[in-house]
Amino acid sequence: MGSLRRCWRDGAFRILALSVGLAALALASVILLRAELDQRVDQRTAASLGGALVLEGSRAPDDRQRPVDNELSSSLVLEFPTVVVAGDDTLLVSAKAVDADYPLRGELQVAPDRFGDAGPRDHGPRPGHAWVADGVIDRLGKAVGDTLTLGETDLTITGVIRSEPDQGTAFYSVNPRVLMHADDVAASGVIGPGSRLDYRLLVDGPATAVAAHRRQLESAGLRPDQSLEGVDDARVRSFGPLQQLTLYVSVGVLLVVVLCAAALTMASAQRATRQARLAALLRTFGAPRRRVLRRLLTGEAIALLPAAAAGLLLGSLVVLVARQALGWQGPLAAGPADWLLIAALPPGLWLVFGVTQGLALARAPITRLLQRSGGVQPVGAGGLIAAVALLALAAAWLSGSARELAWLIGLLLVLAIGLPAALWPLFKGLDWLSPRLPLASRLALRRLTRRPTLALPLLAALMAAMAVLALSGHVGTRLLADWRASLPERAPNYFLLNVFDADLPALDAWLADHNAIAKPRYPVTRARLTEINDQPVRQAVTKESRQAGNALNRDLVLTETDRLPPSNQVSVGRWHGEDDTTGVSVETELARGLGIALGDNVTFVGPSGELTATVTSLREVNWESFEPNFYFIFTPGTLAAADLSWLTSFWLPPGDGGRLAELLRQMPQATLLDVNTLLDRAQAIIDQASRASALLAALLMAAALLVLAAALMSLRTVRDRDNAMLRVLGADAALLRRIAWREALAWGGLAAIGASLLVTAALWPLGQLLFDGRLPWSAWQLLPAAAALGIALGGLRLGRGGDDGPMRLLAS
Amino acid sequence: MVEARGVSRTVPGPDGPLMLLHAIDLTVARGETVAVGGPSGSGKSTLLGLLAGLDVPSAGDIRLAGEAFSDLDEDARAARRGALCGFVFQSFHLVSDLTARENVMLPLELAGADRPGEAADRWLERVGLTHRRQHFPPTLSGGEQQRVGLARAFATRPQLLFADEPTGSLDHANRERVAELLFDLNREAGTALLLVTHDDDLAHRCQRVLRLEAGRLQHG
Repeated sequence: MGSLRRCWRDGAFRILALSVGLAALALASVILLRAELDQRVDQRTAASLGGALVLEGSRAPDDRQRPVDNELSSSLVLEFPTVVVAGDDTLLVSAKAVDADYPLRGELQVAPDRFGDAGPRDHGPRPGHAWVADGVIDRLGKAVGDTLTLGETDLTITGVIRSEPDQGTAFYSVNPRVLMHADDVAASGVIGPGSRLDYRLLVDGPATAVAAHRRQLESAGLRPDQSLEGVDDARVRSFGPLQQLTLYVSVGVLLVVVLCAAALTMASAQRATRQARLAALLRTFGAPRRRVLRRLLTGEAIALLPAAAAGLLLGSLVVLVARQALGWQGPLAAGPADWLLIAALPPGLWLVFGVTQGLALARAPITRLLQRSGGVQPVGAGGLIAAVALLALAAAWLSGSARELAWLIGLLLVLAIGLPAALWPLFKGLDWLSPRLPLASRLALRRLTRRPTLALPLLAALMAAMAVLALSGHVGTRLLADWRASLPERAPNYFLLNVFDADLPALDAWLADHNAIAKPRYPVTRARLTEINDQPVRQAVTKESRQAGNALNRDLVLTETDRLPPSNQVSVGRWHGEDDTTGVSVETELARGLGIALGDNVTFVGPSGELTATVTSLREVNWESFEPNFYFIFTPGTLAAADLSWLTSFWLPPGDGGRLAELLRQMPQATLLDVNTLLDRAQAIIDQASRASALLAALLMAAALLVLAAALMSLRTVRDRDNAMLRVLGADAALLRRIAWREALAWGGLAAIGASLLVTAALWPLGQLLFDGRLPWSAWQLLPAAAALGIALGGLRLGRGGDDGPMRLLAS
Repeated sequence: MVEARGVSRTVPGPDGPLMLLHAIDLTVARGETVAVGGPSGSGKSTLLGLLAGLDVPSAGDIRLAGEAFSDLDEDARAARRGALCGFVFQSFHLVSDLTARENVMLPLELAGADRPGEAADRWLERVGLTHRRQHFPPTLSGGEQQRVGLARAFATRPQLLFADEPTGSLDHANRERVAELLFDLNREAGTALLLVTHDDDLAHRCQRVLRLEAGRLQHG
């Protein structure tokens, strides 16, 4: 307790302790949160795959490929397109035959009838039974209890599928689903040579056992028709917003750690400077180096423990609060390795960045120690290697994959080197300007520009922290609301899908009764793009763009009309007229991504089979118009009439949303999209993300201020001496305060200007995209200026030290 | 120029108050050069600090240019010091973030002088450092730094110059050169000089040499 109190009285130790505590807080909160997030993403990914590992092929897996480990469970799923018959009606469906062990992961939700409440099921249908999707019941006009004929087998409908796991790899999902028992497949006789079959062996169990089985499968070799997919592959493949968010958080935390390391180095150097004489005397009197080190570092190590523990506890508390806010249940997801890293890294930082200075005291020649006048001691080669290794370990841990690690290191380098380098010309400009300024401003600026290696990275850190803080507040509170306010008045607030021809009179009457403003309606169907110019689409597409990837991996909504939608503009070719047959207009960006040009033939597979059309025009589409938009618009009569339903959008006066229930009762198959609800949900997600971002920014800001404090402390001797000299030469206290205030204002002001530029650069694309070129504005953009003012006010403290200083000049 | 009457300085010590200076009476006339010598710890620097208004006496009274000085507050003392006094220190004490030229400009700017740059250039030429005027202190040698210090001390044409061991941190060659320069400039400007030094040779260049022993002034 005594050593803690003694250490705490020293300003440099306080910075040391705060750096260790802050690093512990940042690392603990992010590593624990990351573990929580990964666990949930893995669970969801595994659910969409149907298991932790999926072996897919066009033939059943070999017996040797089935898991033998008792810890592992498995289920074989067979999926194939087929036709079911009900009376005189036939329907192309996607049949899925499952065994008794299905489902392994995820939830199978089945309702007792078409409009009943769904409940979870832990098994598939019994032999002789079928669970079907809404579409099967609607299109065949059947109900639960009726019979379907599949080949030579009759299946009784005993449930309606609301949701099912393992849809992630399903190829035939364009057709409505019929779920049946595997035992009924052989009796149906629908499987024969040439059938398009998709076998999936789902495997699940503890991660180590799954990994072992995967290794075993890969070492034995897969058949040419087989492929293997696990949770990790799916996570890497879906490098989406969640990954970008975690990447952004990881970069932020690494920056916090780097800044804490910088503060540690400077504060340790300060302490070492003060301890240099003691170390020199101990060594002069014959103390061995080990004893010198023990004397210098033991107390410090003990005193730092509470700081590390407090950081760790606070970090854990942040995660517990976040779990509660997000409604996450269950035990903490972090494993022993996570906890070990969290506990070891902050003391590791001190060992690498702090103890190096102590080691220097034990090794340096005694005469040099006696002459030592202060300043940061350079870290030796060993210390540098240890520092890089430590940061690399943290980076590797925070990133989930090699790709993410590369992004992480790249972004870190851009921020840690690129940003300071970009500020260099500014410093040169200030250097040129300073001789022309009055004394107070000149001295204030010189205190920055004369130390570029210290000031540039520090300014960059302050800038980044302010920018992230302003952006997270801005995006979280205002952006979506501003965008909604910028939409045209009476823009559609409801979209209605799956409307049949027979429903149209009732729909029109209802809309007229409720003063709704209806937009044009479109006949739509869903199909998957399979070929371009008779080549399979994956071979035809050489240039993988994100949009093209999206278009290839899902069913597209197709429409046909001879009227060009108002928010579309033909850029190449001519808009098809009534006389054209089997022509299609393609959205420009997608056409570019897929390499589609005018005159190309595109082939789709839909519910009624294949459909081929020739590209007659390319269209620019305003996706923000809030009206239905389509990648592909065909000439009227191209799409099979039997597959079509209607899609429409309309504006309903606020407050009338509750009366939509009566419309939906008239057309129960229709799907209603409430835009307001969707936007509210998006806003809630953005709010959560921005809160995480704000926490990170606060940590970043705290770390940057710690480095600033450490830097100012390391320069204090020089500053105090200069202030005293000014006093000797006749400067009054007001001048010293003015210099200090302007110096702090220069730090804060430059950081604020830079941060504002960063915020503008980040918001500019949003302004172009969503606000007709105007920059979205919010009070959060004033945050950098407010922070600058705060720093400037804090800087007034720097003006002290002149009053009792002059006599010290004589003493030195 | 400066006059001390019954000036004492007491500081708290572990065994009670410790008297650093005992009832000092001293007058330095306009244009007069006075050296104060004595062993380490005799109170030389303390006396210089009190006469320059860098500290206040525990007892007694100090007048500068005929007006009360030690009774003024710190800002008022600083203003009078800036207007009337120049300083040369053993460790040079140039402001590290200002160039040689800006260091010489510093007292002129604080005094509100017109065209401080031009005056600084003249003084730097006088001490032979025109070619180093844009250099920052860490890039100058000890001798060069002290010559900049001399230019700074004389730039405002002070009536009284305080010099605290001005050659104490220099090698022999530089010591000679700086001493020559100090006394040449002093003569040209007709400035009164109060010099604190261990160096008897330097002290004897002054018109009057005093000795301080255990806080008591002995007139030699």
